[in-house]
Amino acid sequence: MTGFLGSGKTTLLSRILSEPSMRDTAVLVNEFGKVGLDHHLLRRGEERTILLEHGCVCCTTRGDLVGALLKLLDEEERGEIPALDRVVVETSGLADPAPILFTVFTHPVLQHHYRVERVISTVDAVNGELHLDLNLESNKQVAAADVVVITKTDVAESRAIGALHARLRDTNPSAQITEALFGEAEHDVLLGPAPPLSSIGPRLVGADRRMPANGDAPHASKIHSTSLTFDGPVDWTAFGTWFSMVLHARGEEVLRVKGLLDVGEVGPVLLNGVQHVIHPPEHLEEWPDEDHRTRIVFITRGIRSEELLTSLEAFRCIVGARPRLLEANAPV
Amino acid sequence: MCVLCGEFISQIHWTDRHVEDRVGENRGDYHRYRRCDRLHRVAVINKVLCFYGLKVQDWSGSKYVLRDNKGRSELVQDLGSLWPVVQKLAGRPLDPLDPILQAALDETSEEPVNGGRDG
Repeated sequence: MTGFLGSGKTTLLSRILSEPSMRDTAVLVNEFGKVGLDHHLLRRGEERTILLEHGCVCCTTRGDLVGALLKLLDEEERGEIPALDRVVVETSGLADPAPILFTVFTHPVLQHHYRVERVISTVDAVNGELHLDLNLESNKQVAAADVVVITKTDVAESRAIGALHARLRDTNPSAQITEALFGEAEHDVLLGPAPPLSSIGPRLVGADRRMPANGDAPHASKIHSTSLTFDGPVDWTAFGTWFSMVLHARGEEVLRVKGLLDVGEVGPVLLNGVQHVIHPPEHLEEWPDEDHRTRIVFITRGIRSEELLTSLEAFRCIVGARPRLLEANAPV
Repeated sequence: MCVLCGEFISQIHWTDRHVEDRVGENRGDYHRYRRCDRLHRVAVINKVLCFYGLKVQDWSGSKYVLRDNKGRSELVQDLGSLWPVVQKLAGRPLDPLDPILQAALDETSEEPVNGGRDG
C-alpha cells in the first residue's frame, strides 16, 4: 500500500485490518504514530536500501523488507505465529514502490515464498492533483497501482473529485479507481479477488498530461499513457525482445506496463511491470471476456505515444503484427 | 545451477518464464519446446543485431554467445544481460526508438519470423 504523504494510507489500512478476514495478515510499516494500528503482527521496518552495482533507482533491494519478510517466514515455520495468508507492506509517503516489487521478485528465498498480489495507492481528493503536478513520486505511485483509492472525499468538492477521477484514469488507464469515505473503502475492491482483467483498457488514449495553467512545466507533468492493440497475434518471444530492449535503453522513462497479449494461443499472456521490474508473465488458460484482442497500456515519462507506436511499427516484421492505437473511450 | 559452467542461476529473466515455467511438464516436451524457443529467439534477436554488426548464437542450450565482426565474443545468460553487452560491443547506445534502426528494420522482410506464433 502506497500513497503520498498525508493521503490517508494508515487510516485506510486501520479500517481494513478491522475486518475479520484480515486475521491472518501481517503488516509492515515504516512510520508509526499517526493513527494507532492495533494489530498483533505489526512490524516496523527501518527503511534501508541496498543499491546494486550499476543498478538504477528501481532496481534496488530493500534490505529492511528482506529481513522482515524472512523473519515472518521463520516465525511461521517455528509455529510462533499463525500461518499467514497475506502481508501488507505500507510504504512511506515518498517511497517508490518499484524497489519493493524488485525485492520480492529477485530475492533467492522470497521469490519462492511470496507473490505480489496488487499495489494499492491512496490519493487525497483535496491535494492529490497538486501532488501529481509537482511530485514525480506521486505519479510513480499512481502508475504502479493496480487499485487507486481516492481518500478524503468527505471534505473535497464533488467537482474536484470528478476532475481527480479523470486525471487518475488519464495517468493510469489500467488501474481500478475507487473512493474511500471516512477511510472506508469496499473491502472486496481492495483485498478480494484480483482486479478484473477486463478492466485493462483505455478511457483516454495517448493522453499527454496537461500542463498546469500557470505555465510552469514541472517534470512530473510529462507523463504519457498509451493504450494500444495489434492487428493480429503477436510473437511473444519477439515482443519480449523488443520490450526488454526498451527497458534497457529507456527503462527509467517507463513507469508502468500492463496488458493482455494475444500470442496466438488459447489464452492471453498477462504482462505487468513497474519500471524495470516485470512480474513473471502469466500465460492464462482463457481470456477474461469475449474480446480476444491484445490490449496493453504503457505509462511513460518523456516517451511519447507516437514514438512507441512508430517503434512497434518498425518491429512488426519480427513481432508479427502491426500496432494500433486504441481510440478514446473505445470499448476494448 | 547451470550443469555446464556450475554457475548458480537464482533468477529467471521474465522473457524466459514461458519456457521455464513448463519445467514440470513431460521432460521430452519441455526440452523440445525450450530448444525450439531458443532457436527462434536467436533468429529474432539477430534481425535486430545485424544493424549493429553483431550476431548471437545459442551456446549449448544454456547461454548465448555474442560475436562482432572483429572476432570479439561474450557469453550472456539471457535478454536482461544481453543488451548491456550488445551496447559494449557495438560501442554506441542502443535504442529501439531510434529512427535509423527503425528505418533499417523497415527494409527487412515483411514476413514474421515464425508466422506470428511463439516458437
